[in-house]
Amino acid sequence: MPRWLKANGLSIGFGVIFLASLVGQAISGHTSLNHDQHLHHGDPISLWHYVTSAVFWTDVMENWQSEYLQFTLYIVATVWLLQKGSNESKKLDEAGPETDEQQLLREHTKPNSPKWARAGDWRTSIYSNSLLLVMGSIWLLSWFAQSVTGRINFNAEQLDHQAPPVSWATYITTSDFWNRTLQNWQSEFLAVGSMAILTVYLRQRGSPESKPVGAPHDVTSVEG
Amino acid sequence: MRSVAIVFAIYLVMVFGGLAYAIALGFGGH
Repeated sequence: MPRWLKANGLSIGFGVIFLASLVGQAISGHTSLNHDQHLHHGDPISLWHYVTSAVFWTDVMENWQSEYLQFTLYIVATVWLLQKGSNESKKLDEAGPETDEQQLLREHTKPNSPKWARAGDWRTSIYSNSLLLVMGSIWLLSWFAQSVTGRINFNAEQLDHQAPPVSWATYITTSDFWNRTLQNWQSEFLAVGSMAILTVYLRQRGSPESKPVGAPHDVTSVEG
Repeated sequence: MRSVAIVFAIYLVMVFGGLAYAIALGFGGH
């Protein structure tokens, strides 16, 4: 295996299965839509038309936003909320943003630390929260994208049934928008909560998502 | 670290590219 591939296996592996799943979603979604068109005596649409339509992109965006919300919340919640015995938690006396020494900031930086960790001014404040800022921005943008593409689908349905189209401000108060949103959120929150508590008693040998197999149940935050 | 930085950039382009397309589509009314 080339060195660059070994060094990036996790990101490239997930990038590849992401693209493969997206293609699968496009093909199956297109087939499903045309089946529906057939049942309603409508004309079939092309695959290209489907993958550039609001129908496809609403489905993509509603899933993106919930995933990015999940990680955004997890990043910020794990600063303050703890779970005794969990691999996903810091130790019980480490709640909060921690000291500069623990975080290798300002005079505690190492020779190869990022420059903005050493600066000690606004740059350090921004860099200290950069993961949250970017993941949170992606969540908000994808949720917004879900709302603007979802409104197009909603209005197309409205017009099909001789009902008036709605504004964006009205659409984000509809049950369609919140049903799409919350059906994704609930599954993310359950899965995250499950990871937090299941890693107390269960193990996966070799995974950094698990404590070492022989680690005691009451030990918090020891990566395997 | 150069290959890591490239993968980092690819992810950002992929994610923000998708977001920009979807938002533009949402305003375009396709």
